[in-house]
Amino acid sequence: MPPPATSTLGYTPPDGGWGWAVVFAAFISIGFSYAFPKSLTVFFKEIQEYFDVSYSEIAWVSSVMLASMYAAGPISSVLVNRYGSRPVVMVGGLLVGLGMVLASFGTSIIHLYLCVGVIGGFGLAFNLQPALTIIGTYFHIKRPLANGLAMTGSPVVLSTLAPLNQFLFDSFGWRGSFLILGGITLNCCVAGSLMRPVKKTVESKPKEEALEMNRPEEAAPEVSTEGQSCVQRFIDISLFKHRGFLIYLVGNVVMFFGFFAPIVFLAPYAKHQGIDEYSAALLLSIFALVDMFVRPATGFLGNTKRIRPRIQYFFAFAVSFNGVCHLLCPLLPGYAGLVGYAVIFGVAFGMVCALLFETLMDLVGAQRFSSAVGLVTIIECAPVLLGPPIAGAMVDAFGDYKYMYYTCGVLMLLPGIFFFIMHYFNYKKLEEEKRQNNAAVDMRTAEDSELQSQSHKQDLITETEKLKS
Amino acid sequence: MSISCMHFSCQLLLLLSFHRHVNTNLSVSENSTFITEPPVETPEPKTPPLAPLTPTQTAQRSVVLTGENHTEKIEVVNPVILNLECVWPGNSKSLPNITGYWTKDGQTIETSYSNIPLENDRYRLIKEFTIMNEEDLGIYSYLFGPKAKVEFILAAPHLGEVRDKPIVSYVGDSVVMLCKMDEKKPQPISWNWYIQNGTNKVQIESDANAHKYKITNEGKKTKLLVYNLTESDSGVYYCGAVYGVATSMGHMQLRVITYYEPLKPFIGILAEVVVLVAVILLYEKTGSRKHGQSGTEENTDQTNNLSHRDNDVAEGHSSTRQRKV
Repeated sequence: MPPPATSTLGYTPPDGGWGWAVVFAAFISIGFSYAFPKSLTVFFKEIQEYFDVSYSEIAWVSSVMLASMYAAGPISSVLVNRYGSRPVVMVGGLLVGLGMVLASFGTSIIHLYLCVGVIGGFGLAFNLQPALTIIGTYFHIKRPLANGLAMTGSPVVLSTLAPLNQFLFDSFGWRGSFLILGGITLNCCVAGSLMRPVKKTVESKPKEEALEMNRPEEAAPEVSTEGQSCVQRFIDISLFKHRGFLIYLVGNVVMFFGFFAPIVFLAPYAKHQGIDEYSAALLLSIFALVDMFVRPATGFLGNTKRIRPRIQYFFAFAVSFNGVCHLLCPLLPGYAGLVGYAVIFGVAFGMVCALLFETLMDLVGAQRFSSAVGLVTIIECAPVLLGPPIAGAMVDAFGDYKYMYYTCGVLMLLPGIFFFIMHYFNYKKLEEEKRQNNAAVDMRTAEDSELQSQSHKQDLITETEKLKS
Repeated sequence: MSISCMHFSCQLLLLLSFHRHVNTNLSVSENSTFITEPPVETPEPKTPPLAPLTPTQTAQRSVVLTGENHTEKIEVVNPVILNLECVWPGNSKSLPNITGYWTKDGQTIETSYSNIPLENDRYRLIKEFTIMNEEDLGIYSYLFGPKAKVEFILAAPHLGEVRDKPIVSYVGDSVVMLCKMDEKKPQPISWNWYIQNGTNKVQIESDANAHKYKITNEGKKTKLLVYNLTESDSGVYYCGAVYGVATSMGHMQLRVITYYEPLKPFIGILAEVVVLVAVILLYEKTGSRKHGQSGTEENTDQTNNLSHRDNDVAEGHSSTRQRKV
């Protein structure tokens, strides 16, 4: 059972109240972070003609943006650890806005790589990490639900941006659209302003003292932060010795290779089977719609009494479900089969996304989450970027999509099984450690109460003596 | 029967004697067929041509009616002598003779009225058309009396997808307009670009205005680059794919706007963001000031703010403390 937050955080999270405004703010930040790079593809065709470059060169704009967003993760974590979520998100919003406005005056493709890709990507990183972190500070009991709701931002913002971008492009061409998108992304600053630092209510009661003694190894880092190295103060490298963190990292790195490719190739696969362009696009809309509803539902499920203690298994199940889904895809015939696949894939994808960061918070605790997510995103940078191109190369090599789907299925199923096994052992070890700590506390509290009762007796004796005299 | 046979063979002889036959690749599909052209070569006629006819291909297209109507699309690339054959299967109630005629683009071809006899349980007619230029293209229909109709749509290859919404660009900027032919369709001989001037189409000559226009042709694609845009450059532009028989046109609209147009919504959104951020931060400041005033008498906390919940918790704890001890 993961340790209760009150002991690790040192305060009781509100689990509501202003927290829901923070969830809304995180919804916007996370939505922009994930959906914005994908939504820019609408402009690529015209920009490609304008700058006279090949399609892959223009597609790099999205890739550079995504890469910068993941690579800037640790920087974002450092800043959040130091300054809190609010200033970082507001700076992030300003950066993305600035990047897009500068890009609208772009004279070469390199200009776009730098403005949209690097500056924009950094801005989005400064939105993503703090948004995830602040949820951990405001929620504990309802945290899976809050995470699920916040992660719903991604499909909702994507569904909004896609037609909006098309409309902007038709009205203003790509330059004007970039300018206006720069303005729209400034709304991340509004989201940032909502991210009030949480009021830390420290309770001074004996019950709390007992709990603090319950986790001596957890409390120790709080005390000794002043004595740690320079790097340690900025970002928590000791996470690499954390068992749960390592399990999460290894599983996720393998999983991300096969995570995004099936979405990227859903429409081309449909067209390859002879389905017309609009019906192929409809598949993606179905997928996004299902995703939108599954994420909060998964968050809610993750919050229930039965699943919350074993949420790692729930995540493992979601990952494995993805794998099975992809393995079965090539076997499904015709358009109806593809629609079914889109629906089931939507469910699987939504489940994994909703739980992605909740499980990390569950493993490392809300305090270390900021550093953890920074480290995770920079390491995940490689599989996220390499996944779709490798899948594309596979499709080109074999001339058939089914091998790519089989590979993606395996790449998701293996981590799923890995998670099941490793978390079984991890939970066992955590239970053992808890029992040891409880025994230690029991001993100490027993001594304590003996001392207390002795002093109490002493007081009574002295008082009666006083009364007598 | 024998008369029609002779008639038919007469036609064939005529064809053979005057023209050079080239067997073209005809792929019969449901909707359209292509008459692909091998490169037009200068002929070495076995007999000297009777008239100064340019050597052209010959092709035949046949349609067997299954219902009452049928439409056949034929793509014509180069001038061709086209034989269109129509067959309508009769039934037990069919008349021994039927009058049929041709129409072009809805107008009856007066000389085409003929009586068609019922042979082998079907009516059959074949006619030769000379398709030389754009005027010869169109919709040719053959009507078997009032009852059955076969339609042949003769056209030059259509352009691929051309953007139907206006292309937007900015004053002082440049723009690229693209026209392309589908991969499966034949390559045009050349491309032309036209700009709409009043009701005329004026051809754009890139050599004369090299600083303003640049045309790049790459086989099945063509690009028109317009530099130093001004608002007067807005309008309709046409690209034409030149084939032997006709030029296939596509059109697109260019809209040139100033930077002020997107700037207005941008400033609007900027104002909205500033207002919202200010409102949210002010609300927070006033909210915390209220709490701060009421909290000075109570137990102080690590932060300067106290919430009601904190107060309740503190009171509850003090009471429990008393109870325990």
